[in-house]
Amino acid sequence: MSARPYVGMIRVSALAHKLGDSVAVAVEDLKKGDTVTVAYLDSSSETTLILKSDVPLGHKIALKDIKTGEDVIEYGHVIGYASAEISAGEHVHVHNLKSKRWSN
Amino acid sequence: MVQLTEIWGYERDDGKVGVRNHVVIIPVDDLSNAAAVAVSQVVRGTVAVPHPYGRLQFGRDLDLYFDTLIGLGKNPNVAAAIVIGIEPKWTQRVADEIASSKPTEAFWIEKSGDLRTVEKASRKAKEFVQYASELTRKKHDISELTLSIKCGESDTTSGLAANPALGIVVDRLIDEGATVLFGETSELTGAEDLVSSRFLDDDNRKKFLKIFNEYSNIIKSEGVDLLGSQPTEGNIAGGLSTIEEKALGNVQKLGTKPIVEALDYLDRPTKKGLIFLNTSSAAAEALTLFNAKGSILHFFTTGQGNVVGHPTMPVIKISGNTKTVQEMSEHIDVDVSGLLHREITLEKAADTIYDAMIKTLNGRLTAAEVLGHVEFSPVKLYVSA
Repeated sequence: MSARPYVGMIRVSALAHKLGDSVAVAVEDLKKGDTVTVAYLDSSSETTLILKSDVPLGHKIALKDIKTGEDVIEYGHVIGYASAEISAGEHVHVHNLKSKRWSN
Repeated sequence: MVQLTEIWGYERDDGKVGVRNHVVIIPVDDLSNAAAVAVSQVVRGTVAVPHPYGRLQFGRDLDLYFDTLIGLGKNPNVAAAIVIGIEPKWTQRVADEIASSKPTEAFWIEKSGDLRTVEKASRKAKEFVQYASELTRKKHDISELTLSIKCGESDTTSGLAANPALGIVVDRLIDEGATVLFGETSELTGAEDLVSSRFLDDDNRKKFLKIFNEYSNIIKSEGVDLLGSQPTEGNIAGGLSTIEEKALGNVQKLGTKPIVEALDYLDRPTKKGLIFLNTSSAAAEALTLFNAKGSILHFFTTGQGNVVGHPTMPVIKISGNTKTVQEMSEHIDVDVSGLLHREITLEKAADTIYDAMIKTLNGRLTAAEVLGHVEFSPVKLYVSA
């Protein structure tokens, strides 16, 4: 393993596509309570947050608090709306994120 | 890296260039599957393509069905074709169309029975295999080729890693003058504006939007929750939550070049470059259509690990999921999981895919070919009469 997964001395455990996205993707299995460093793919920015739930590889983490009904942003685009209150560091998936296009 | 644009391929009678040299046994209908499979068991070096359709279809559905069988036979990856049907008329119709591109022979079962048909077809198939074995690969340019792209059992790693890397390869192929087909109409939902804004001209843009809206309406008209179907259960297990998220990951593989044409089911490409084809998002259905429109190699990005192949078209599997590339290593041709932990750059990942493509074009077998994945699934538009 090269040193690239690290920003400074901290391992990057999640990636976000664009600055302003409300979610990032875990690039390894993460546990509740972990301090997670998130790197942005479109810049050299990074952010750190504490996980409020387990998040498996490939699943999303809220980067900020999201109110019920609010748009959820990834790739700089709307991927759906929050169907429940979501707080930063929480797992974001089908239990709290719904499609705006095919929802019933 | 200096890119190779010369490849070794087989030129067919119609001038098209393929990268495989198959003798196919095509059943015109479900009733002829047994005879077609029997021929493929008697004559080594043939591939039978059984399927469940071909009786009492009508209208646009029948047109698409014929187009799919004819496209399979005419594809330049095929050296020669045996066509077997229950009766002569439809059998001859399919065979006559294929015959403009390569040696083709038709056989029908009525008035002969399976056994005599299998014997006659096997004698011809034996000739065809020996004919095909005399053909040799010659130098051709990548610009002569049509390739296709589609992802399956996607997850968020597809949008982070495999798809953007493939997008760079697609840009390179377009720059080199090749044609690349993409589709997955319903899986553009949420990213359709990004796609429509890339069409070179308004006529094709409008045509794309019309196709897209029609497809969406069919899906919405069922009035059901699609969660589990689209996104699939595999997508959801991999972290994808909505169709919009899946679509935005999907379009990462389209690169950045203009889209030159929008094709509906019955159209054939008339231009070179990046082309949209109306397809289902189901892997085998989409690959069957891409191949019928002339694709000779397919790039298949996967997150959770789709295993699809095709009877005559090599399918290169690319994954960026660190677990999948280990757990399903025998299915993955190109591992770009280094992107997840930023151990490699997108350009480097694209180089790896490009290199695998050149080797595959020149004859290296893909995982799906070696593992016997020969899925063939014609799309059925509506019920038979």
